[in-house]
Amino acid sequence: MSGPSNRPVYNSPILNMLSSVLPFSESSICLLAILLLAPNVFATDWGGPEQQLASKIASATGPGAFAINVVNRSSLSLSQAEEIRRALLANLSALGVRPTNTDAAAGTVNITLSEGLQNYVWVAEIHQGSNQAQVQIVSLPRPDVASPDRATFPMTIHKTLLWTDDSRILDVALFSANPQQMIVLGAESINLYQFQQGRWQGQQSLSISHVHPWPRDLRGRLVLRKDHLFDAYLPGVFCRSTATTPLAVNCYDSDDPWPLGPAGIDPPPENAFFASTRNFFTGAISPGIGKQTTAQPFYSAAMVPRENYALWVIDGVDGQIHLLDGITNRTAGTLDWGSDIAGVHSGCGRGWQILVTGSSDTPGDTVKAFEIPDREFAVVSQAVEFAGRITALWTSSDGSSAIAISQIAETGRYEADQLSIICGQ
Amino acid sequence: MRRTSFPLFVASSLILAVLASAETRPRYGGTLHVALRAAPASLEPSDHGVVDFASLIYDTLITVDQRGQSQPCLATSWQADPGNQRWRFLLRSGVTFSDGKPLTADGVAASLRIANASWKVFADAGGLIIERDSPSPYLPAELALPRNSIVKRESGKEVGTGPFVVSQWVLSKKLVLAAREDYWDGRPFLDSIEIDLGESFRDQVMALELGKTQLIEIAPVQARGAGIESLRVTKSAPAELMALVFAQPSGSAQEQQLRDAFALSIDRESLNKVVLQGGGDPAGGLLPNWMTGYEFLFPSQMDLTRAREARAEVPHADVWTLGYDPNDSVERVVAERVVLNAGEAGLRLQLAPGNTADVRLVRIPLASLDVHIALSELAAALGLPKPNYGSDSIDDLYGAENTLLQSHRVVPLLHSPHEWAIAGTVRNWTGTRDGNGRWRLPDIWVSPNKP
Repeated sequence: MSGPSNRPVYNSPILNMLSSVLPFSESSICLLAILLLAPNVFATDWGGPEQQLASKIASATGPGAFAINVVNRSSLSLSQAEEIRRALLANLSALGVRPTNTDAAAGTVNITLSEGLQNYVWVAEIHQGSNQAQVQIVSLPRPDVASPDRATFPMTIHKTLLWTDDSRILDVALFSANPQQMIVLGAESINLYQFQQGRWQGQQSLSISHVHPWPRDLRGRLVLRKDHLFDAYLPGVFCRSTATTPLAVNCYDSDDPWPLGPAGIDPPPENAFFASTRNFFTGAISPGIGKQTTAQPFYSAAMVPRENYALWVIDGVDGQIHLLDGITNRTAGTLDWGSDIAGVHSGCGRGWQILVTGSSDTPGDTVKAFEIPDREFAVVSQAVEFAGRITALWTSSDGSSAIAISQIAETGRYEADQLSIICGQ
Repeated sequence: MRRTSFPLFVASSLILAVLASAETRPRYGGTLHVALRAAPASLEPSDHGVVDFASLIYDTLITVDQRGQSQPCLATSWQADPGNQRWRFLLRSGVTFSDGKPLTADGVAASLRIANASWKVFADAGGLIIERDSPSPYLPAELALPRNSIVKRESGKEVGTGPFVVSQWVLSKKLVLAAREDYWDGRPFLDSIEIDLGESFRDQVMALELGKTQLIEIAPVQARGAGIESLRVTKSAPAELMALVFAQPSGSAQEQQLRDAFALSIDRESLNKVVLQGGGDPAGGLLPNWMTGYEFLFPSQMDLTRAREARAEVPHADVWTLGYDPNDSVERVVAERVVLNAGEAGLRLQLAPGNTADVRLVRIPLASLDVHIALSELAAALGLPKPNYGSDSIDDLYGAENTLLQSHRVVPLLHSPHEWAIAGTVRNWTGTRDGNGRWRLPDIWVSPNKP
């Protein structure tokens, strides 16, 4: 069911691209369990290149005593550089190249830990007698940078990495089953995964057929259903899955409105029409918030249930935040918010919070939680940070959490995180 | 404890003032006004002045990303036969030129044959075949160069498959581009882009300050000058190579010795401090260190003692003429300082504005983020032999670059960044790491709110 015509296939000289090519490839590793150990996952094994460089140096010098200097000109940390230095000296000693001071040395070996665009580059310059320096080089790929851990706060947004991929992720949905399953909505396919043997393993890939090109800043939403597994909403396209595995999906041109808020409730509380060649909702709402069936065009909306009605917060294309309560459409002004908001029912504080992306024009992004105790918004959590811009923020189908998709600025990879709110800390 | 501290925190966090705009998601619409110094005489993508904006009008089969990796564009996949001389490309379906006509393999082949007369390019079974007369393992990255853009030429006009279509073209003066609703990779956020061409750096700054332009180039000497600090300036990694190139190969050992003395006499640190205001890097190699990781191996320090010794070993030295672009104030200053430095080593140079000289001062932008293509293109631009890469290894790349430097034809001076100033309303500016062309203007959007 995958779409081979759209899936790039490359030959061997382009090895680094293979991870984005293989469906459900082993490289698409992501996983609740691994996430907890993220720093270790991204650690690099220096053993191979250390031995390789030591071997090259020993071949050039032969056994003997040499003045050996190691300089770090790369982004490696001091401790990493020191670890590598020690290992290099140990490897050299094992090969008969012993470190000594300059006076007693048969020559000098200057080792530089450098880096280029794609690789760490370790260079040894070997000076012996009046001969011209010999140069020995080894290189190893530089790993992608992992996002750092962040501090805690009284009401805390808990961020759990679900999935990363080179290809664009539009939405992710987790559903309870045994074993647990996950659906990932991409630009060209919907992929199903099952959590087995401590990792997510690909089960099925369903291609999304569409006649018209997708708009830039593509958006899409997954909604879990009770009578079938899921619906997927994309600009101008609707996809409906079958109920049982192996699944099939039927995609067709459609301008049907997308569910807003916790869409797993049947029927969902509100739906809104999405502009099929743009990245925003037109403002037409169905069946309507009370008597209100239209609002300003908006990027996102969040529901905050009150005692007798539901208050809707609309993040408008005009840069304003609008509050719709079924009767009035009040402008809360131009807040320091991003374009994406999502309502979450945490049970903490007033029960419901709004997660809000940041508005900074920096490579990273943030999400904070807000409440509306009266007529003003109040921050109720510290910002949780992302290494890239958030491209989607959707309330999960049951409303208890949100899914945030971000694109890591450094690598261009997409990352899907589940955001839940924890009371206190 | 939890219940008492929480309301206090909430109260202290109430939002009472609003400062910034609410938007991170791109906004559709608007016009971006750009000013450029280049004044191209055509819209051919091979024209030097078109490189900056070629990707707005044209696509290439392949693009190279910020890590130097080849990525699909009009070609969705590619495969080489053993030996890397014959390559097959599968083309993306559903792509149209801006005149509405579909992209075909025959059209792509015709375009590539014009750009590369020695290539054998033809359509075959829904795909495209390229045959070269020698192994070409880096062909995908080569196809990403602007000169290999896919162009349909009809009635003296160039038509592309890119995200924008030309709506107005005033030769060497003005270019107006309109967004294509049916672009295969999604309509750009901007409605249009207006580019004023042939604008001096000074006029560009004035236009930006007056709000007439939103994106301008900044000259190295301007970047840290008065009046610029208030602008939003962004720059690439130091990528443009400034170098001295000898017109003729070094014929004798004595000539080589004189050229060694010349290279050792130049104070690149001072050049960088004075001319680039510290914004670049002294260069010992052709490719910058951030790209290869080994450039530091090529010496760039001035060594006047060794320079004088080398000069003294040659009894007679002719006066060399040093050519430079007289319209480029940066080149003039650099050329003057080079003459002074060389004089201290006992070498005599005479400034000769123009292109016909014994030694020429040149500025060559990095053509690609693929290291092999970047070095090959640099060698071609410098008039040096094509580098010979035995393999993909870093050792062979280093060896090939070292061979070029050992030819005594080129003396690297500086690697300098490209710099731009951008209005605060312009969002999602990413530029490129090499700073050369391939602007991602389709991803840019203009906010009605100032930050």
